[in-house]
Amino acid sequence: MDRTSVKIVVAGGFGTGKTTLVASVSEIPPLTTEEILTEASLGVDDTTGVESKTTTTVALDFGRITISPDVVLYLFGTPGQDRFWFMWDELAQGAVGAIVLVDTRRLDSSFPAVDYFERRGIPFVTAVNRFFGECDYTEDEIRGALELDPKVPLVWCDARDKESSKLALITLVRQAMARLKVKA
Amino acid sequence: MSFETWDGDDESAAGRFVPLYVLVNGRTAPRDSTLDLATQVVALSVDTRRLEPEYLEIVRQCAGWISVAEIGAYLKLPLAIAKVMVDVLVEQGYLAVGTPAQQRIFDKSLLDQVIAGLERL
Ligand SMILES: Nc1nc2c(ncn2[C@@H]2O[C@H](COP(=O)(O)OP(=O)(O)OP(=O)(O)O)[C@@H](O)[C@H]2O)c(=O)[nH]1
Ligand SMILES: [Mg+2]
Repeated sequence: MDRTSVKIVVAGGFGTGKTTLVASVSEIPPLTTEEILTEASLGVDDTTGVESKTTTTVALDFGRITISPDVVLYLFGTPGQDRFWFMWDELAQGAVGAIVLVDTRRLDSSFPAVDYFERRGIPFVTAVNRFFGECDYTEDEIRGALELDPKVPLVWCDARDKESSKLALITLVRQAMARLKVKA
Repeated sequence: MSFETWDGDDESAAGRFVPLYVLVNGRTAPRDSTLDLATQVVALSVDTRRLEPEYLEIVRQCAGWISVAEIGAYLKLPLAIAKVMVDVLVEQGYLAVGTPAQQRIFDKSLLDQVIAGLERL
């Protein structure tokens, strides 16, 4: 009797379509779980005790896809605000990799996510969410703006569309496999 | 549990927030560090009459395999608390633990299965 969990992170800037993508492929409506965070004591008076420190709640959306009777894939959306890096570390740990959603109206808002996975050597693909069908940029321009490594795949997507989200996920898993082969 | 934070250039946005320490049965962090939010657990058929109601509620939620994150979401428990309580139940033999999504090195056959599963969607 065993059950294996596989994890994929759905990241990107505020409002880039993370929850929409998770909802489009999840077999259950996305669930929300919360973590209570407290401001780290670094540079903060430590003698005041936990009660008086700033605490805040961060919500995570996630969905699930049953792959087989033994394997379930969980898709976790990162919190919209970039300051909760701790949650990113927790989500990224042990993950196959990440989909970084990019909104062409605000390319720079996804740069921290690209930078995060790049620095940690975590496989990722960029999924450009075109929202209104129009895109003022070419693939090269987007790659340039995000300083993407040429090996990082870029797919165009509509986060509301199941087939489009599936394609982004499959591209990511293939990318992770390609990386396995390089390491072996 | 690691409290490693953002090591990027943006100092002001550095990860200044860490989980609030929670005290559950005198414990502040899960004993089993492999228990992550995607790890699945399932109830074992053992006598639950001695369990406190909060713990019993978790065991009831685990009639089938379910992840720590789902337990947190359904029972409206902050993740850190769900983790510690699940860990206590595992330690005391109420729950069995599946294979966590923690191996850095994934085996190819698992990824093949994931692709096939996604294609079937
Ligand atoms: N037209 C269009 N709208 C989209 C698309 N993806 C998302 N939206 C809309 O954009 C808004 C933001 O999408 P969300 O999925 O909530 O974005 P998010 O990244 O989860 O946002 P935060 O969690 O707040 O950072 C919602 O109103 C969506 O309905 C898309 O592909 N096309
Ligand atoms: Mg969201």
